[in-house]
Amino acid sequence: MRITKQPMGSQTLLQLSDIRKSFGAVRALKGVSFELNAGEVHALLGENGAGKSTLIKTITGAHHPDGGSLRVAGIEISNLTPSRARELGIACIYQQPALFPDLTVSENIGLRLKKSGLISRVRWTAQREQTVALLHQIGAEISPDAVVRTLSMPEQQLVEIACALGSGARIVVMDEPTASLTQKEQQLLFKVVCDLRKKGVGVIYISHRLEEIFALADRVTVLRDGESVGTYAVDSLTESAMIKLMVGREVSSIYPPSEGALGETVLQLRGLGCAASGISGVNLEVRAGEIVGMAGLVGAGRTELARILFGITPADSGEMILNGEKLQIRSPREAIARGIAYVPEDRRRHGVILEMPIAQNMTMASHPRFFPNGWLRFAAELQLAENFIRDLGIKAFSPDAPGGSLSGGNQQKVSVARWLATQPKLLILDEPTQGVDVGAKSEIHKIIRGLAREGLAVLMISSDLPEVLGMSDRVAVMRNGKLVDILEKQNADAHSVMSAALGTNRNEVPS
Amino acid sequence: MPSSRSISLKLLLARHEVVLVLVILVEVVLFQLLGRNFLVGRNVSNVFRHSVEIGLLAVAMTPVILTGGIDLSVGSMMGLCAVLFGMMVNRLGMDPWFASLAVVGIGALGGGFNAVLITRLNLPPLIVTLGTFSLFRGLAEALTRGAESYSGFPPSFLALGNSDFAGIPAQVWIFIGVAVGIWLLVHRTTLGRSFRAIGFAPEGARYAGIPVARNTSIAYMIAGAVAGIAAVILVARLGEARANAGIGYELLAITAVVLGGVSIFGGSGTLAGTLLGWVALAILNNGLTRISDYRILEQPVASVARELSGLLTGLLLLTALSLGALTKTLAVRRARKQSLSDTSPNLVKS
Amino acid sequence: MNKYFRELTVAIALALLLLSLAIFAPHFFQAQPIISRLTSQMPALVAAVGIALVIISRQIDISIGAQFSMCAIVAGVTASAGFPLGMAILAALVTGALMGAVNGVLVAYLGLPSIVVTLATMVTWQEALRLWQQGRLLALPNGIQWFGLSQQVGQMVVISVALTLVVGAAWAMKNLSGGRQIYATGTDAEAARLAGIDPKRTTFRVFVLMGLLTGLAAVLNLVQSPQVQPNCGDGLDLKTIAAVVVGGVAISGGRGTMWGVLLGMLLLANVNPALTHFHQPPYWEKAIQGLVILLAAVADGLRSRKTKF
Repeated sequence: MRITKQPMGSQTLLQLSDIRKSFGAVRALKGVSFELNAGEVHALLGENGAGKSTLIKTITGAHHPDGGSLRVAGIEISNLTPSRARELGIACIYQQPALFPDLTVSENIGLRLKKSGLISRVRWTAQREQTVALLHQIGAEISPDAVVRTLSMPEQQLVEIACALGSGARIVVMDEPTASLTQKEQQLLFKVVCDLRKKGVGVIYISHRLEEIFALADRVTVLRDGESVGTYAVDSLTESAMIKLMVGREVSSIYPPSEGALGETVLQLRGLGCAASGISGVNLEVRAGEIVGMAGLVGAGRTELARILFGITPADSGEMILNGEKLQIRSPREAIARGIAYVPEDRRRHGVILEMPIAQNMTMASHPRFFPNGWLRFAAELQLAENFIRDLGIKAFSPDAPGGSLSGGNQQKVSVARWLATQPKLLILDEPTQGVDVGAKSEIHKIIRGLAREGLAVLMISSDLPEVLGMSDRVAVMRNGKLVDILEKQNADAHSVMSAALGTNRNEVPS
Repeated sequence: MPSSRSISLKLLLARHEVVLVLVILVEVVLFQLLGRNFLVGRNVSNVFRHSVEIGLLAVAMTPVILTGGIDLSVGSMMGLCAVLFGMMVNRLGMDPWFASLAVVGIGALGGGFNAVLITRLNLPPLIVTLGTFSLFRGLAEALTRGAESYSGFPPSFLALGNSDFAGIPAQVWIFIGVAVGIWLLVHRTTLGRSFRAIGFAPEGARYAGIPVARNTSIAYMIAGAVAGIAAVILVARLGEARANAGIGYELLAITAVVLGGVSIFGGSGTLAGTLLGWVALAILNNGLTRISDYRILEQPVASVARELSGLLTGLLLLTALSLGALTKTLAVRRARKQSLSDTSPNLVKS
Repeated sequence: MNKYFRELTVAIALALLLLSLAIFAPHFFQAQPIISRLTSQMPALVAAVGIALVIISRQIDISIGAQFSMCAIVAGVTASAGFPLGMAILAALVTGALMGAVNGVLVAYLGLPSIVVTLATMVTWQEALRLWQQGRLLALPNGIQWFGLSQQVGQMVVISVALTLVVGAAWAMKNLSGGRQIYATGTDAEAARLAGIDPKRTTFRVFVLMGLLTGLAAVLNLVQSPQVQPNCGDGLDLKTIAAVVVGGVAISGGRGTMWGVLLGMLLLANVNPALTHFHQPPYWEKAIQGLVILLAAVADGLRSRKTKF
């Protein structure tokens, strides 16, 4: 049952109308409207990339919307900044607490809550008392004199919540707050949220845990693809209905078809794990010519698994067998030499080096193979670059142009070229088309399918569900550091994948 | 001509080196007009003869700075190497050429020591080399008990620092050899290219399979080894090995490198730039000593040449840095307009 | 008490040093020499406070020695020209602040790396000073040395001023939001910006403040002898940076206390005198200093590695 009228007597704290936000060619929010009332917990639901975090950043003033309006307590606000948002009573508790690690809890709270002049006295005892009171209010057993660096992540989150309480926030945003909390801490948090609600505070609650939404929230707004699919009373929905709302779009059939003929097994993982990364017991097989999609929520461990395979964080348990040979990959260099290539997710830090020329970027991972005795060969490098530019359809001024002169999609193609130049047997792609415009996206899909056809084994990590469903021959789903399900193409649909990713599917395939 | 040189960066780079060449030309013209016996064979020879040590340090410092690091200890390493050299030849009666090799090896080891702390323990290069700046010099002073010096080296060895070979000072030949070697390393080898990658994107380089720790260590070891060479040359030139050899040289070397357009943040810069920066400084240093007809602060310029050249060097560096910062902001703005998308991977998620 | 762990280790090291002196060289502990020695160490201490602030804000300033010398000469010249002591002091402070402002503008507003900027300003001030003074010793008029008071009283004044400053700085860093801003900027400039602090302005102010403190330090040094040496600031950069690093100020910024600076300075400054009293030759000083810096850096490196992941 859709809600169009707000309950009588309840005040609207926040009103977003038709918010639009684009980053370059990518439209993150396409006209989202959202309302928050006093004394309610309003959940925000949506899969990765739906626009939740962009919406939140618009509310906290970290982003400027390109269009639409924002009203706080009925007053339209333009040019919202983080400090302004704080003054208006908007507080946000992120997954990564933004505290200063070398100061104590009470110093951090004091810093946040005090307006900063230059000479203004920081009242020590008052600050400490306030901290004690706030911590007591949320029932956190943390000493106000503890140095933040020594606190665990959940404890730091609780400090953030105390900050929000102390700043007298009327609108509190919580972004996946229970992600790393224990059962007991979760209960604490729920109590805090309920207390906030009783006080008339409006809470925007983002979580993937449907059971939490059912337990805490009054209303839920579902985002999909940058748009709002509707606002509903939580009581009126079933779990199934929620999932359907999250993913219910048509799976586009405009994906390059798979050819069918598979080669031998290239990669075999048996019980692979790395304690430090939180990954355990992964069993997986990838054959030549096959594209295995890796689905799961953010933090499920897909990138961590890729980093294990690539040697960034080597495995400490289980086996990895590449082309029939049992291996221990301890460094990226070793991985590359063995024929494993990894196109990384964090493009800014690990991808194309923007200041260096395209051609040099392309040969960057192939030095031992392409320049055997250490001497650079410019003509050969240029030739390689020209070939890739032609074959992959890269739109560049020249092979000498710096990587930074290309669009995101073309940079990604250069990244792919770099890894193809290493002549890999296993190609791991981590969010290959994220932030890439629609046109380049489909080109990259064709390239990936073409590579599989040539005999490459492809592992494709993606949070774009249609992409996963459209491209993969099989779909592996990860949750909480474990590989929980592997679905054949015919069994893989939005619902089954999402259920496995969320953990609502009781029939997990034991590996 | 290497073809993998970028187009839009080319303009910036070319501009920097062109500016330096212009500066050098201006210096030459000025000193020839204002000074005496400037462009005379003997003096030109001296310009280079007296600044070879700094040139060596500047050239060796370039790979280190390209990786985004810095080495403040090279001057002190010179002192330590000089002292050890003196001890080996005077006390142990070693053959000077053999001792030279040994000392270069010791310099490499010192660089290796820096490298271990920087790459294995991830300590900031600034503080590590500040510590070794003090430690190496301290060891040199301790070994000579703060006072001793060594001399009495065989004439065949002293010739290295004071005679010419085919019209060019002997040590300049060595300098040319080292400079060419390091130029090849930086601009023609995968190692050199990896220095840039490490400087621009240390984690990205790692993800591309580059052995970051190993290559960075090589850069620091080269710096140490070349400091050893510089020490030997200095001792040969002065005929004396003392603990204060090379005091202040590291700063002059860094000045030459930064003046030459190598970014202190790492990644960009050329060896040619470093050489030009060094030449500009060497000429400045020397040229002022040739001006005796003019006065400044009631003194003939020549007698305050050192201070004046130091002052002008400082001002030159400040100007170069400020101009560099301004052009950088302009270039960044231009590139931002060109680039079509600016998506950070983490922004568009959920 | 994890927070003050570093400072405690330095305190223990200092205590051990004093203990060994008490056992093996008790003649170290004679009142007058100690007071004289302490007095001569005070200027470096004040300068160290200034540079600690810069380093905590995640910058560095190697021009401190040149600034010190320049301030000293400016004060000396002012006094020699007949101006009263107060004017000379003011001249020193203003000179320091101006030099700090130059560094501040280049680093904070032009975004240039502080190592290179301060290298350039160091060379500039140093050579300008040499050009101006030609290495001449500058004789001070009567009434300047020891503030025109007796040596005993003068020493007390110097020591009190310096220690008051250290205590005051410690208090200010803890209690004034200006101090918070410095820590915040040094830890994470971006987070600081989101918390409403202007990192550029904070950085600029820190450099100016350091210049002021350097000027003060130069004055405290000036009054200890009848003449000013134009190279009185030589080696100050290494001395002060070493002392603050040893005292627990992290080169990566955001961490460090004034107590640590005091302890670090006392420890390092007394290495040489201790060596003398142990009948050990003084030329081990630099080597020991370098070793201590490296040990402190390693300790900091290991510590932050543990808590990073």
